[in-house]
Amino acid sequence: MDRILIVEDDAETAAAVAAVVRGLGCDPVHRDTLEAGVAEAAGNFKVIVLDRTLPGGDGVDAIARIRAGGSHALILVLSALGRAAQRVEGLEKGADDYLPKPFEEDELRARLRALLRRGTMQVLDNDLLAFGDLEIRMKARTVHVKREHVAVSPKEFELLTFFARNAGQIVTRMQLLENVWNLHFDPGTNVVDVHVGRLRRKLEEAGSHAIQTARGEGYVFAPLPQPPGEGA
Amino acid sequence: MTPGAAAAAVSGDHRPLRARATLRLAAGMALAVALVSVLAMGLGYRLVETRLTEAQRALLSADMDSLAALYEQRRIIALREAIDFRIAADGPEMLLLMDRNGTVLAGTLEAWPAGLTAEGKTFTVDPAQEFRSDGGHWLVVARELPGGFPLLVGRSLAPVDATLAALRQGMAVLLAAILAIGAGVGWVAARWVMRRIGRVNALADRVASGQLDARLSGPRSGDEFGLLETHVHGMLDRIEALNRATHRLSDTIAHEMRTPLNRMLRKLDKIEGQEEVTAEVRAEMHQAIRVFDSLLDISRAEADQGGGGLVPVDISAVVAEVWDLYEALAEDKGLTTGAEIKPGLTVLGDRHLIAQMVANLLDNAIKYCAPGDSLRLVLSGRDRAVLRVVDTGPGLPDEMKSEAFERFTRAERDRAKGIKGHGLGLALVRAIAMRHGARLTLPRVEKGLTVEIAWPRELG
Repeated sequence: MDRILIVEDDAETAAAVAAVVRGLGCDPVHRDTLEAGVAEAAGNFKVIVLDRTLPGGDGVDAIARIRAGGSHALILVLSALGRAAQRVEGLEKGADDYLPKPFEEDELRARLRALLRRGTMQVLDNDLLAFGDLEIRMKARTVHVKREHVAVSPKEFELLTFFARNAGQIVTRMQLLENVWNLHFDPGTNVVDVHVGRLRRKLEEAGSHAIQTARGEGYVFAPLPQPPGEGA
Repeated sequence: MTPGAAAAAVSGDHRPLRARATLRLAAGMALAVALVSVLAMGLGYRLVETRLTEAQRALLSADMDSLAALYEQRRIIALREAIDFRIAADGPEMLLLMDRNGTVLAGTLEAWPAGLTAEGKTFTVDPAQEFRSDGGHWLVVARELPGGFPLLVGRSLAPVDATLAALRQGMAVLLAAILAIGAGVGWVAARWVMRRIGRVNALADRVASGQLDARLSGPRSGDEFGLLETHVHGMLDRIEALNRATHRLSDTIAHEMRTPLNRMLRKLDKIEGQEEVTAEVRAEMHQAIRVFDSLLDISRAEADQGGGGLVPVDISAVVAEVWDLYEALAEDKGLTTGAEIKPGLTVLGDRHLIAQMVANLLDNAIKYCAPGDSLRLVLSGRDRAVLRVVDTGPGLPDEMKSEAFERFTRAERDRAKGIKGHGLGLALVRAIAMRHGARLTLPRVEKGLTVEIAWPRELG
């Protein structure tokens, strides 16, 4: 069972994170000070959920120490310091992902899943990604559904490969904005939905229902099996 | 650009002033010393001149006394003998005795000099006259003795003139030396003062470029400059402490507000069966955080204004990326869109802030435009990037133009139309433009709103 370390001084938040971790089938370990967290991080963890304003200091400043301690865990910073500049600072200082508080549990779940997968599945270096009828050729940057070419814009291609990399998992709008557009502020509008909608329509016109809206916070790329009731 | 380069750019503006004030001071002091010396030397010169002339007059007076004594005994005969005797001695004298017909009885001259008239009959030294002839300079007493015998007795002033000439020469050399030494000392002093002030100037430039923790290294001297450095350091320590406190405060506020909000969200998660209400509460909470973050972002950008920490950013790429994101939204709303983005432009900036600024501008335009309006984005420029976001929407009422970029400014008609917003989007745009030293203007247009942002010329 994968172990996830939670370094968090707010008991209620820690309990909520632990519940999400258990829901993912992982084993949570909780520490409530920075020193105890850094000491514990040397153990075998898949992911570390790290707060910033902790008794003992700023979690982001401790990332280098955690790495120096020999940890290969992926680090998700979960912090009340959630402005765009602070998120960028956290990522620049070595965090693998950064989620501001207050957070939605779905969002946290999606992020943790993405990190857990990143830990196991290595980068897709195959040229051809095939999901049933849907084929993505990485080098040529082309998409085919049922052998038919689907014309997509460069951004739509990046969007699709991000979905493909997280196939079967919920990805949130925030994740798409951060990973596909490299933007770390909350635009407060449905900009991402418009792009996902376009890509989705193109795929659907070609006969693929790979992208679906997930209840709540995002989308799920589930090319297999075909959704029941939808004629292909 | 590195902070050092920024500092150099800033201090470049001060260069023309280099050492001017101190050199002026040094030159002034050298001139003052020289002037006082000239006055002192002038007084000395007058004194010497007077004394030497007095001495010649005393000699002349003695001559006259002895001639008077001889004249008392044997009149003209005695005078003639005495004059012949003195001519044999060949002193620096001018002597002449004539009879009433103008015949020379005795003397060093062959005729009465032109331009000299005899005055009085007595053997006193007064009145004496100064008289020049054949390159000689004389102090003479000219008399006509009873019976019509003109008498001329003179002493040469040449030794006096020679002494005074030597004195003048010495004084000129001395004055030149005083000026040269004064200028030299002034130059050295100016260099020294400039170096000491230059240290403080360089420090101020570094601080202005954003290095709040910059300090002067090395020991502090006990003089006024050391005191100035100590005071500047004290001032900087205070600024740095205040700055840190401000940042800490905004972080603390964020933490103290977001942590309870987070607990509220966890409790909302547990509520079942009222999906619509909880979704609204969630949306309200996220909106509150957005407003709060915008306010902090604005004050942060304003506090960092003109500071360092900016790096070269491919603004063409950033603008293209954000345009790509928002163009789809505009098209979906039924706007006609178009963009001209000149590739390869770079500015000194913060990629994320620029992206946020462009996003806010586009979001704002899309929000106010109605289907059928057009939205265009133009990024142009040769040596400086100029971004224009042009829409044909309702534009801004004239009375709002001046305050459109203030916090919480919203047009009445928006409230009436139900357009949501807090009036922070454009305030953040302005703060980010100022952070980059860019100029934000609203060019006059016939229809709609055009926002223009001109980045400063790139250095180097």
